Order: sequence, then C-alpha cells, then structure tokens
Amino acid sequence: MFPEFEYIIPSDLPEACNFLEDHGSETKIIAGGTDLVVSLRRGEMKPRFLLDISSLKELCQIEDAGDRVVVGAACTHTQIAESTLLKEYGGVLSEASGWVASRQIRNLGTIGGNIVNASPAADTVPALMVLNGQLKIVTKGNHRQVPLPEIYVGSYQTNIKPWELVSHIIIDKIPEGAKHHFFRVARRKAMAIARINGAVILWRKKDNGPIEEIRISVGSVTPIPCRVTEAENLLIGTIPSEELIEKACRMVGRRMMDLSGVRKSTEYKQPVVGALVRRAIEHLLTKG
Amino acid sequence: MKKFGIREKSSITFWINGARRTIEILPNTTLLTVLRYDLGLTGTKQGCGIGECGACTVLMDGEPVNACLVMAAKAEGKEILTIEGLGSRERLDPLQKAFVDHGAVQCGFCTPGMLVAAKALLDRTPKPSREEIKAALAGNLCRCTGYQQIIDAIEAVIKG
Repeated sequence: MFPEFEYIIPSDLPEACNFLEDHGSETKIIAGGTDLVVSLRRGEMKPRFLLDISSLKELCQIEDAGDRVVVGAACTHTQIAESTLLKEYGGVLSEASGWVASRQIRNLGTIGGNIVNASPAADTVPALMVLNGQLKIVTKGNHRQVPLPEIYVGSYQTNIKPWELVSHIIIDKIPEGAKHHFFRVARRKAMAIARINGAVILWRKKDNGPIEEIRISVGSVTPIPCRVTEAENLLIGTIPSEELIEKACRMVGRRMMDLSGVRKSTEYKQPVVGALVRRAIEHLLTKG
Repeated sequence: MKKFGIREKSSITFWINGARRTIEILPNTTLLTVLRYDLGLTGTKQGCGIGECGACTVLMDGEPVNACLVMAAKAEGKEILTIEGLGSRERLDPLQKAFVDHGAVQCGFCTPGMLVAAKALLDRTPKPSREEIKAALAGNLCRCTGYQQIIDAIEAVIKG
C-alpha cells in the first residue's frame, strides 16, 4: 500500500525550486519513479509531498554547448541511448543508458534519478566518470556546479540538500577518434542489477601510437564512484605491453579493495574486475 | 502548478485506447490501479509490482512502460494503449492472431504485456532481427512458453 502524500506538478523550474525552498525536507522529488515508486510501495519512506519534475521542458533536453554536452536531468535512458549528439560526443554514456534494465524502465527512468539514487551499481555513473561529468544543482535564485563524485558520501547517500535539485549533467565532449567501452556483469543481460560494471575511454594521436589519454572507472564494486587514476597514469604516454596493462589492471583490483575492504565476494570480484578492464583496454587498442 | 491534495480526488484527462476520458484520482494511485479498478480494463495484469516482470506493460505515447511504476497523475494528457485497444474479439490484431497460431499463449498472464511491447517494437522498427525482438521483450517475463513461440509469432507477423 502507498502512504498518503500530495502530488505536485510544477509548471517550471523556478516554481519547483520555490517549492523545495519551503517544503524540501518533507518532499521527495520524482522523475521516472522507477526506484522511488518501489520504495514508496514498500513503505520505506513517507514523504508529505512528491514533486514531479519529469514534465519540466528545460530538464528534458540534450544540448550542444561548445566543448561540452548538457543533458537535462529528466532525460530518460531511452532518450540518452538514442541521442545522435551523445552518440557522437559521449557514446559511452549512450551505451550505458542502453544497458539499463528494460525498454519499459528506460522509457521512464532518468539520468538524474540514476545519479541521485546513488546506487553503487548505477550504470550511467562509470560512463559519466570517464566523461568528467559535472552536475548543475539549482536552488531558489542560485545554482552551483560540482564534479559528479563530490555529491557521493556513501552507498545510496549523497550530500544534496533537501532544498536542492539536480537540473543538468554536463559532460566533456570526447575528441574524434576516441574509443570507448562499457562493460557489465550481471545475473542476466537485461533487468538484473550489475555486479560489476565499468567504462574505459582512450584516444591516441595516431593509430598504434602512444596512449594520449585513458580514463578508467569501475562501478558496483565500490561504495562511491571512482576513477582509477593510478592505472590511468601508468598507461598514459605509453604503447603498453601486456605486462604494463596487467600491472594497471591489478591496480584496479587494489583500488576496489581499498574502498570496499574484504567482502564475501572479493575472491571473485578482485580478479574479475581487473580482467574486465584488461579486456576493455585490449579491445580498444586493437579496435579499428 | 498542479496540486493533487491528500485524500482529495483530482481530475486528470487522457486518451485511453483512442477515447478521451476525464476521471477522478487520488494522488497516491498508480496508472495500473486506475486502468484495472477505475476503468475496468483488467487485461493489463499486476504481477510483481516493482517493474521487473512486465505483465503491466502498456504504451504511453507509443512507448512501453510499466504501469505499476507510473503514478496516475503522470497520465495527464497522455495517450495510453492497453491490450483492450490493440484488437477486438472479432478483429484480432495481426500480432494477436500470430500468438494464437504459434502457441505463444499458455497461461496467458504475460500475454497482454508481451503483445503491447511487441506492438511498440514493430511500430518503431518494422523489420527487427530476432536479437532485436529478444532485446525488446527483455522486460517481459514468461514462465510457460520458454519464449521461442512468442518470438516465432512476432517473426511471422514481420514476414506477413
């Protein structure tokens, strides 16, 4: 059974911000509802208000902004998976959104929801991490912009205040010729929550030349999102040998241990997360 | 700003299977409840209630969604298609006919969701590959058929 609440549909973003300013602490923001409605039905939360931001036009657009792409927080995974702009400049994000759950869920679930729900297994988060994702967070009459990882304080926990609203996600365009790979291990390909996921992008000045830039992020295996910068730094500027890639991938497993400690699944996940990153890098180095 | 007050009935207007309807809803109601209990459209099933099984799939503005996860207020101004709007007893939709012909229906619980999900697929991709069919139905569980007959039925419609 659902708890009782008022359902508010603001007509524009300032109206939504005004509402949060007055009632933020008693309000849950709803966009697609694919996580929230389940929690409500289970009685895990009893907000006095639901504030539905899914029809705010300014939050539903994907825009070209020079060397950045600005994605409205209420864009659905289907929109992101099918956006020609994102496929060109942030293909790894389109791919990640395309892996979320099922068509039904992708038609409802939004990127903003995926981010603020703060599930360690969120599929879009590793993709956003390698695209240097930033969040625009708005309040009544003000806004701030922060790098994505700064909002996370733990599993399912963010430092976003009740009167704040994530309005946009800003990513760096990746240069032409950059290659990306998104990977995901789960009980089945569709629907199941990822046990391990991650994203790697890299580019080189010329084919078979040294790696100019590589960015590695793994998800699901750490409480908060992470980039494995020590592994990235080891590979940047090199034409990596198998041994060097292997060494970088061991760093990925070590980073997981540092952030998550030893858990029941460590014996499996530590070698597997490294192997997945190794395969991703090898694939990107040989592809095209 | 539109407000649906606690324990108050507020009206929403939407299109259901081609007909414009205005109904009174409570704020803490899902589209699925409205369809089944207010409109008597019990073809759409309630399965898991958490968006995993797809039995409650309906089309909202032509795209499949889990009606159990859609708060009713979100239906305002939308076009909803349920299994009742796909074909009629006298004139089955080609998908429905193919499901019957290929034994794609056993207990029948997943069938309405499967059919509307398949309808949305063929509307956006008239000639999908077998892999594309599987991907499009990944959010619809069937515990009887093993899926092969369902996919065969959809392929038969594509071939005409």
